[in-house]
Amino acid sequence: MTITGIICGALLGFVMQRGRFCLTGGFRDMYLAKDNRIFYALLIAIAVQSVGVFALIGAGAFEYSASQLPLFSVIIGAFIFGIGIILAGGCATGTWYRAGEGLIGSWIALAMYMLMAAIMKSGPLASFTTAVRKPVVGTDSIADTFGINVWFIVIPFVALVAFIIYRELKKPKVKIPQLKPKKTGLAHILFEKRWNPFVTALLIGLIATLAWPLSAASGRIFGLGITTPSANILQYLVSGNVDLINWGVFLVLGIFLGSLFGAKMSGEFRVRVPDAKTSVRSALGGLLMGFGASLAGGCSIGNGLVMTAMMTWSGWIALVFMILGTWTASYFVFVRPGKQRAAASTAVNA
Amino acid sequence: MKKTIEVLGMVCPFPLIEAKEAIKQLNSGDELEVQFDCTQGTESIPRWAVEEGHEVVTYEQLGEASWTITVKKK
Repeated sequence: MTITGIICGALLGFVMQRGRFCLTGGFRDMYLAKDNRIFYALLIAIAVQSVGVFALIGAGAFEYSASQLPLFSVIIGAFIFGIGIILAGGCATGTWYRAGEGLIGSWIALAMYMLMAAIMKSGPLASFTTAVRKPVVGTDSIADTFGINVWFIVIPFVALVAFIIYRELKKPKVKIPQLKPKKTGLAHILFEKRWNPFVTALLIGLIATLAWPLSAASGRIFGLGITTPSANILQYLVSGNVDLINWGVFLVLGIFLGSLFGAKMSGEFRVRVPDAKTSVRSALGGLLMGFGASLAGGCSIGNGLVMTAMMTWSGWIALVFMILGTWTASYFVFVRPGKQRAAASTAVNA
Repeated sequence: MKKTIEVLGMVCPFPLIEAKEAIKQLNSGDELEVQFDCTQGTESIPRWAVEEGHEVVTYEQLGEASWTITVKKK
């Protein structure tokens, strides 16, 4: 049943490519452009998945119990991961789907990310990862901490998200210029039209929900996850141990294939080579992503989309600190160079 | 006056940052053409242009993953 991973991944890769769903860009623009749209879109995906998965658990489809919260490693790891995704120009999932669009910079980031994740999980730094993740501060389940039923958290959260979206949709819209359509009907919708980010997020929430029963059927009780499967690929390639090939591995390969298909069909695939500066930045970003995600126990999908939906402390704390990481890196990569340029040109003019 | 910048091979958000820098050098009514190949730019660049109040004169896909947009400064 591991093969269903490739279907789930392909759907996700396709939707993310066509929907231009980029969490890195979304977190960055909260700070740079004071624009929260993609963050709100992420909340929609979390809300949909939360209702879906807890309904499935309630119906007895599978069992899930939260573990302990390694607070320190989640904070440090998520913050470093946030810095890494700005340098790499995309989060773990973003890097997988941009690799499918033909961006060689993303290939570099991906290779370094897989390498560092493998080093941290089963290589020379495995004991370091275990040591940092060892101190825990009680249960990871927010509901268990307060001794309440999880629906008392899920329902108010869904209401809050609904209120935010209602307020967003009421705002006057600016008309964004579109490319002249060359396709019609379904082909236009699938391979050309600009997708509303909230619709994209709804689809991602549904795919993230679907991932749970499909993955559970293969014996892996979790939803979407990127870091461990990415490390598994490298570990398998050097060890030949077939046990490493699980549902998650097919999932990430599916993301690549789904995005490749979407990009090809929309005339958006081309092998694009970065300059030296971008290449170095991508490599460094990939290493930090692998390091941070391994400590935090997940990336912007594993923690930011899935563990948040499961209403765990680690998911929400990781989300906050990865956003802070992207803002910190954005300051050094985008804001400060601009200020320095401006200062330099005033000095010349004066 | 018309200025053209090529931001090929650059990933988001660098094409947009370059465009913002370039348009500062122009006078009102001048045109800026941005040639880019970052897919996410197809969303962010036209959005930035209209939100800033510039006029989008042309916006076309030239070929596989290759776009051009011309913006008239407000």
